[in-house]
Amino acid sequence: MVTVVFRPEEKRVEVPPGTLLSDAARLAGVDILMPCGGQGRCGRCAVVVESGSVRRRSTQRLTPDDIAAGYALACQTLVESDVVVFVPPQERIERRIKETKRAAKIELPFPYDRHDQPLRKFAVTLEPPSLADQTDDWSRLQREMARRYGIRNLQASLPVLRKLPRALREGDWTVTAVVELDAWDRPEGPPRLIDVLPGEHLESLWAVAIDIGTTSNVVWLVDLMRGQVIAQAADYNGQIARGEDVISRIIYASKGNGLQELQELVMGTLNRLIAQVAAEQNIRPDEIYKATVAGNTTMIHLFAGIPPESIRLMPFIPVVNQVPTFPAREIGLGINPEGTVDCLPGIASYVGADITAGVLSSGLCDSDELTLFIDVGTNGEMVLGDCSWLISCACSAGPAFEGAGVVHGMRATAGAIEEVWINPETYEATYKVIGDERPRGICGSGLISLLAEMFITGVVDKSGNINLDLPTKRVRRGEHGPEYVVAWADETATGRDIVITAVDIDNLMRAKAAIYAGFSVLARSVGLTLQDVQRVLIGGAFGQYINVEKAIQIGMLPDMPYDRFHFLGNTSVRGAYYALVSREMRRRVTEVGRMMTYLELSADNTFFDEFNAALFLPHTDLSQFPSVAALVGEG
Amino acid sequence: MPVEIPVEQWPGRVIEETLGATPAEGGTRSRVVKVGGENTLPFMLTDGEMPNPPRIAIEILDQRPKDWSPLLLEAWGDVVDDPAKWAKAAEEAGADLVLLQLSLTRDGGKPTTAADAKALTRAVLQATGLPILVFGPGQVDADNELLVAVAEEAAGERIVLGICEEKNYRTIVAAALANGHLVNGRTAMDVNLAKQLNILIADMGLPLDRIIMDPTTASLGYGIEYGYSVMERLRLAALQGDKMTQLPMLVTPGFEAWRQKEAKVGEGVPASWGDWRQRAVLWETLTATNLILSGADIVVLRHPETVKRVRAFIDRMMAK
Ligand code: FES
Repeated sequence: MVTVVFRPEEKRVEVPPGTLLSDAARLAGVDILMPCGGQGRCGRCAVVVESGSVRRRSTQRLTPDDIAAGYALACQTLVESDVVVFVPPQERIERRIKETKRAAKIELPFPYDRHDQPLRKFAVTLEPPSLADQTDDWSRLQREMARRYGIRNLQASLPVLRKLPRALREGDWTVTAVVELDAWDRPEGPPRLIDVLPGEHLESLWAVAIDIGTTSNVVWLVDLMRGQVIAQAADYNGQIARGEDVISRIIYASKGNGLQELQELVMGTLNRLIAQVAAEQNIRPDEIYKATVAGNTTMIHLFAGIPPESIRLMPFIPVVNQVPTFPAREIGLGINPEGTVDCLPGIASYVGADITAGVLSSGLCDSDELTLFIDVGTNGEMVLGDCSWLISCACSAGPAFEGAGVVHGMRATAGAIEEVWINPETYEATYKVIGDERPRGICGSGLISLLAEMFITGVVDKSGNINLDLPTKRVRRGEHGPEYVVAWADETATGRDIVITAVDIDNLMRAKAAIYAGFSVLARSVGLTLQDVQRVLIGGAFGQYINVEKAIQIGMLPDMPYDRFHFLGNTSVRGAYYALVSREMRRRVTEVGRMMTYLELSADNTFFDEFNAALFLPHTDLSQFPSVAALVGEG
Repeated sequence: MPVEIPVEQWPGRVIEETLGATPAEGGTRSRVVKVGGENTLPFMLTDGEMPNPPRIAIEILDQRPKDWSPLLLEAWGDVVDDPAKWAKAAEEAGADLVLLQLSLTRDGGKPTTAADAKALTRAVLQATGLPILVFGPGQVDADNELLVAVAEEAAGERIVLGICEEKNYRTIVAAALANGHLVNGRTAMDVNLAKQLNILIADMGLPLDRIIMDPTTASLGYGIEYGYSVMERLRLAALQGDKMTQLPMLVTPGFEAWRQKEAKVGEGVPASWGDWRQRAVLWETLTATNLILSGADIVVLRHPETVKRVRAFIDRMMAK
């Protein structure tokens, strides 16, 4: 017999060598949470072995650093001698699990140069007018800007001129001029006075990077003095109620007042988000002087109020791939009305500025490694290539992974279930909620995790059908057919059960099948297999992370070593941010557009076959998923 | 000059399955029928072997058919009023197998009950010594209820229960497992869907040699090319070694052909279509023989004359 001591409770128990730590804990009366039922899948039962010798049967959930620090999974670890074990508080384990997967911080991969920006702020002090110098206010400012900063031929619109007299006098002839020296489509200028503020205000200069997704919209508030993202906000696109995908939006736009209505809806969402980030920083929205916008081609058309019909009709051409810059007032965007709006260039009707932005910010074309980039969103755009070639396609995955089109789906914000474990014996669910609150719904990463757990534990069969014969109250026939209860009403913030229905599962299955089929067809179109891919970059509106392991288990991502996957968060808004702060990035994004070939999947008859093959868990051809085959005992 | 015939050898083989059980095997059939087992494309007997010829099942209904072509009713005569007699007539007409198709309702519109299904199954088993297949009405709840009863009534007879579909297979497979039967799984003309259903059924623990796949087909002139191509691709996958496609295939050319006006009706069609009787039987025959060429191991037919012609075709193709 050997002795196991559990700290900090200092409980001890005698067990034969070879006993599982989790069994020893039970005998000692120590509570260790075991969400996956002791299968070594969830990593939640981690403890620290402080002394003595143990054998770890599986370390799947532990990093080499964890192991060096003494971590072991209680359910997978056998005691070999007298041991002392520390049972960490649950929060510490959660933090440990989360930190290994945290999305990268928003950092620029290049140095920021605040002097090489088209949008600048200049403080100037003018000689006050006198009877000897009766120069008008505007000429006086122009003269001083030229003399002091070499800015000649400064232009101003009427609304700005109207602000001038008051600003000059209130600031006692010292003002801050917000000037746009040039623009994307006016590289030679002339410089334009956008705003004039009394006094000196050089602490910050605000701009926004915007991503207009079919389902989710994102705004990043950027301070151009520092080049940093200071605040972020996201919400569902207000247009969703008028159609889930781009095609239905285009159809809606072509009827009656549809175009105007859709434009107002998206503007409503964006302006609310802008107001939100501004309020967070205690500024007024009209102190934001520039917006750089990424989005798919249809979204950009609707945003600019350009009729998108031709995108849908043969031969599928947009009205414009790169919209010329225009002032915010022309579309009612809620920043300073004189502020410039830059839309990133798209390539074609179905490969828009969101993808050029994504390629730019993901670093896809900076490396000679064969890289697969996917933007997991409604349109499911993906790009394969390296620094010398790029090919892309759009697989129309639908909004399920953004939490839309799923009964209890939601965005990855506080209250969203982002990870789920199901006990294989009792079918009980344990989950983790963003922000540690009561759950309100399930976000994309939660849905992936949930589907994977349901599959692994047999709550659904490989077609995704819920097995109603299981001995648990969690499977039942609900309003929308069979469903599985993830959280009971008394655990939730809404006071209602949170469930996943058969229809939800269908939508998820279709989404993941479309994505994997897109990968397969894209690789085959250039004579490669998915195994040739060295890096997989994943962008999308997920929360902090997407669990790669779970995404492989459901057959959404190809089965390859986890370290080939990199989760990048929203790559589209990030690309807009890069373009906002760097002339070089603006040049590169145009180049990306020129390099990329587009593969139209609707014209590709292998897509349908691949889609049906992928409409299974994990895939009809299990040999493409050896790690999953091993997990379900069919390896 | 001697001509060398190239031989194509395949690594895979279709599973051989046994339908029916004799008293020695715990049933009451006068003989068993084996299907599948080939390791070559249909009739390519120089490449490999085809231990069992394609089999013919004759479809009978549990009551007088309401929407069948008058030609079929005329061919069978009064036996259509009595499933037992019809089963016997089918055996005499040269069937290898008898397929009993249950209806949703009995005469007078009352739903078919489990007791009805048991009695019908028993009657057919007593009337013929051939192995049988029993298909439910094709509505989830009714299928589950009736087929469980059928499976129990026929325990030990190794009958084929149908039809399993992706959305409804658990109950039927469980009934087959418990009573020693086989199942027929139907999917909508797609290679992957067919394979997926085989996996789902096998996942419940039913051995592969008790699963028949029904990839669905269409009649001559109504998309048979598509069905043909799906079956051919399934068979090629099987011969190439894909385990989950190595199952015998059953198709229903009788049902498909007799739905179409070319076979079904004699009036209101162009005179240039020629003699109705000839055309109708030809339509079913050609649909069946084409599907046999694409790999069908069991064809379900309706007209006794078609049975004769398809039999003659199979015999000639199997002759060395
Ligand atoms: S890993 Fe041990 S309980 Fe889940």
